Amino acid sequence: MFENFPILSLLLIVPLIGSMMTFAAGKHAKAARYLALVFSGITLVIATLIIMNFSLSAPLGTEFQFDEAYDWVPMLGISYHLGVDGISMLMVFLSALLVFLAILFSWDVEERTSSYMGLMLLLDVGVLGVFTALDYFLFYIFWEVVLIPMYFLIAIWGGPSRAYASIKFFIYTHVASLFMLLGIFALYFTASPLLGAPSFDMIEIASVSGDIGHALQLIIYAALFFGFIVKMPMVPFHTWLPDAHVQAPTAGSVLLAGLLLKMGSYGIIRICVFTFPDITVEAQVLIAIIGVLSIVYGAFACLAQTDLKKMVAYSSISHMGIVLLGIATLTDLGMAAAVFQMFAHGLITAVLFMTCGMFQHKAGTREIPLLGGLAPKVPVLSTVMMIGFMASLGLPGLVGFVAEFSVFTATYDFFDLWVIVPIASVALTAAYYIWAMQRSIFGSLTTKIDTEHIHDAYWFETVPLAVLIGLIALFGIYPRLVMDIIVPSIPRILTGVI
Amino acid sequence: MALDYSALYPVLVMVIFAAALPAVNLVAKSSRSLAGVSVVGILSSMGFVIYYMLNGYPAMMGGETVLLLRLDVFAALFALVFQFVALYVVLASARYIEKDRHQAEYFSLIMLATSGMIVVAMAVDLISLFVGLETASLSSYALVAFRKRDKRGAEAAVKYLVIGGMSSALSLYGISLLYGITGTTNLEGINSGLAAMSSGLNPAAWLAIAMLLAGFGFKVAIVPFHQWAPDVYEGAPTPISGLLAAGSKKMGMVLLFKVFLVALIALKADWQILAAILAILTMTIGNVVALQQTNIKRMLAYSSIGQAGYMIIAIAVASQFAVESSIFHIITHAFMKGGAFMVVAALSYVALGESIADYKGLGRRAPLVALSMGIFLFALAGIPPLSGFWSKVFLFSSAIDASQVVDQGWMVWLAIAGILNSALSLYYYARVVKYMFVDDGPTTERLKIPLSLSAAIAICLVATIAIGIWPEPVIDLCEQAARALVPLLG
Repeated sequence: MFENFPILSLLLIVPLIGSMMTFAAGKHAKAARYLALVFSGITLVIATLIIMNFSLSAPLGTEFQFDEAYDWVPMLGISYHLGVDGISMLMVFLSALLVFLAILFSWDVEERTSSYMGLMLLLDVGVLGVFTALDYFLFYIFWEVVLIPMYFLIAIWGGPSRAYASIKFFIYTHVASLFMLLGIFALYFTASPLLGAPSFDMIEIASVSGDIGHALQLIIYAALFFGFIVKMPMVPFHTWLPDAHVQAPTAGSVLLAGLLLKMGSYGIIRICVFTFPDITVEAQVLIAIIGVLSIVYGAFACLAQTDLKKMVAYSSISHMGIVLLGIATLTDLGMAAAVFQMFAHGLITAVLFMTCGMFQHKAGTREIPLLGGLAPKVPVLSTVMMIGFMASLGLPGLVGFVAEFSVFTATYDFFDLWVIVPIASVALTAAYYIWAMQRSIFGSLTTKIDTEHIHDAYWFETVPLAVLIGLIALFGIYPRLVMDIIVPSIPRILTGVI
Repeated sequence: MALDYSALYPVLVMVIFAAALPAVNLVAKSSRSLAGVSVVGILSSMGFVIYYMLNGYPAMMGGETVLLLRLDVFAALFALVFQFVALYVVLASARYIEKDRHQAEYFSLIMLATSGMIVVAMAVDLISLFVGLETASLSSYALVAFRKRDKRGAEAAVKYLVIGGMSSALSLYGISLLYGITGTTNLEGINSGLAAMSSGLNPAAWLAIAMLLAGFGFKVAIVPFHQWAPDVYEGAPTPISGLLAAGSKKMGMVLLFKVFLVALIALKADWQILAAILAILTMTIGNVVALQQTNIKRMLAYSSIGQAGYMIIAIAVASQFAVESSIFHIITHAFMKGGAFMVVAALSYVALGESIADYKGLGRRAPLVALSMGIFLFALAGIPPLSGFWSKVFLFSSAIDASQVVDQGWMVWLAIAGILNSALSLYYYARVVKYMFVDDGPTTERLKIPLSLSAAIAICLVATIAIGIWPEPVIDLCEQAARALVPLLG
């Protein structure tokens, strides 16, 4: 199926059309909601169809599938080249899923609904594009396209200091992208003579990148790597994230943490490791240190937070650190676990941000000291929050455990007993989650806020949460479903390393 | 031998319409019908250009010894750019000046200015170049002064006239020096004359370079010859600001191309570094000063200065790829900057102020116009996939490309400066977007933009988006144009 059908293009066009139609709905909020839901739903169906038809058997399982390539600006060697391997396949599915659920979760957004929904779909186009592009130029375009809707989502529907947070997010990540663009150009101009023809194609460039001079490779690597770790974000380039997250509307945070951060780690795998294996090996320890630093720093920062959402935001830094650590092992297991962690974190963090948003919405605050004893009042919400926290701290049987466990196993294989440092911080993770839970939903009922009129979850909140929790449990118990997709593509990424 | 005038037809059509407009005014009184007649004139002139583009270009115009004008793909491309600019300026003016006097003269001057610009694009001789330049300049002085009772407008016009006059004098002096050195005014003749001379430092040639750079630099508003631009752009009627930024400024670039890349290319080594320094200064000062502007027209004026800095990169790099990219950027800039000015014109027509703060909440008051403005500004900032992104990418990569040649490694700094400046510029463009869509304004009352102004905006918008999605054909044209202009560059 789909041998000659441009299914990946369809995947990008559907949300784009949906976005335009949703914008056009103007004042008709209801129509905008349904349009957005339908179009993101179709996108999800297409993504599901693609994943069902994704071949796992060798040698097909190791190749880019659903490949599409057309010349775009042949003079410069820019092509419209799309394709997915196991790594991007998972990210594509995650993107389509989270956008669909986020749109459903935002059912009660009343302010400028059509713009809100339109921007969500536009974001979908950008993110899906980033994960499917196999041409540097196309990749960069989609990378930038993502920025604009997210900027508006924060700037218009955000919290009280949204103006500051949104502009900080925009400028910070845009500057990082420009460094990345410089790196891409340097790569293009040095690789094209080696190829004999101008080309922005990721795969073609990777085939000759080893012949580039070592010093130049290092510079290009640094520029690209910088662009990616700002997006992830890794300490010390993380400062935009707490602001952006705390101020973003709930669905915005879900997509920011669930998808946008993954773009960074995806870039490291797809571009840095794949194109510059030699430099990656040299920088291995440094990358691991950055990862561990982020894990530890994020965990400590979480302990200090009184705002639930800010805590979850910092936990993202910690958990993305695990991804980077997995990449730094440069082993099949570590890399596969890193991708698994990206997927797992996407699902879990969505649950966490949704519950934070619901607390804000229903109790009027996310300040942990003001909450307390809410479990009997909002049983569904509290249960969901508990499951989310447990999944995030790595309870066996849930998806987070599989990822963390595999990363740490791979780390031990490679860095020996140093693995104690990141593992110790997992204890911190448990501490901040359980402590936060104790203070916010258990104990005696708070008197600091009005608890009389608190309403439990609405249907449009319960459904996305239920879906996410179902998947968290499913993939936690039976991780092979996901691992089977990832594993065949890993050796290809690591070819130059060994 | 009789002169073959066919190359001049597109210009003649414009001039005839310009001359006829005051007569038409006796019958048709409204500014709208006058604009309609002008549109017919521009379109028929465009028709000539397109006809020549499709069916082969006419012979060069001039005698055996004196060559004057050549309509080749370079000239045709720029003629089209100038005609498009004139087209949307005329459309926007149809309502903008409806309460003013001397409407026929206004449209007639726009046509004359445009025909002067086209002559500059076709010129192969310094004399015809200068005639075109003066035709365009004199018409635009009068256009800036159009609202003579408006104090800001009158002040702007006086400044523009004095500085413009001085710049013409400087460039004429430079031309005379070149004639003195080489004994010819033909662009290619000057080049071969200079190339044949001994390679030692020629003080007269240096003086000529300085004079021409200063004289034409005023037209393009290169730092340090830029100070007039914000005052004039602010004081002029807004559609005319658009004409200056999108038309007149581009004519200045054509002048620089023709003089430096054709006539003075033999002395390339002498002026390349100078042009690079001016390029970096121009883009940096333009963008930094734009950051702190509170008036939208002044902000756009400074952003134009910054953009001119990007275009000058081509002079510094002096490769065919760079010239091609610069031509491409000139084209995209004509539409995105012109579009932004048309939006400002439309909004000031419906009595919205020209302070940036007046744009608060515009997203609700005039959603489509605000959206167009957002797209123009993002294109100017170079956000993909809009047209400005492509042209900037081309420009900066041409500098990187050239830096790989031995002894040209420094050129990579042009690209780095350009990229840093783009990041900087995003701040002030995004601020306007934020005002329009994020902040709430004092009122939410809808603004009704008249059709002709919307049409002017729409032309720019379509071009900005279409070039962004499908840049290939335009790039092809730019490549041919660059090749036609400077066949010798590598």
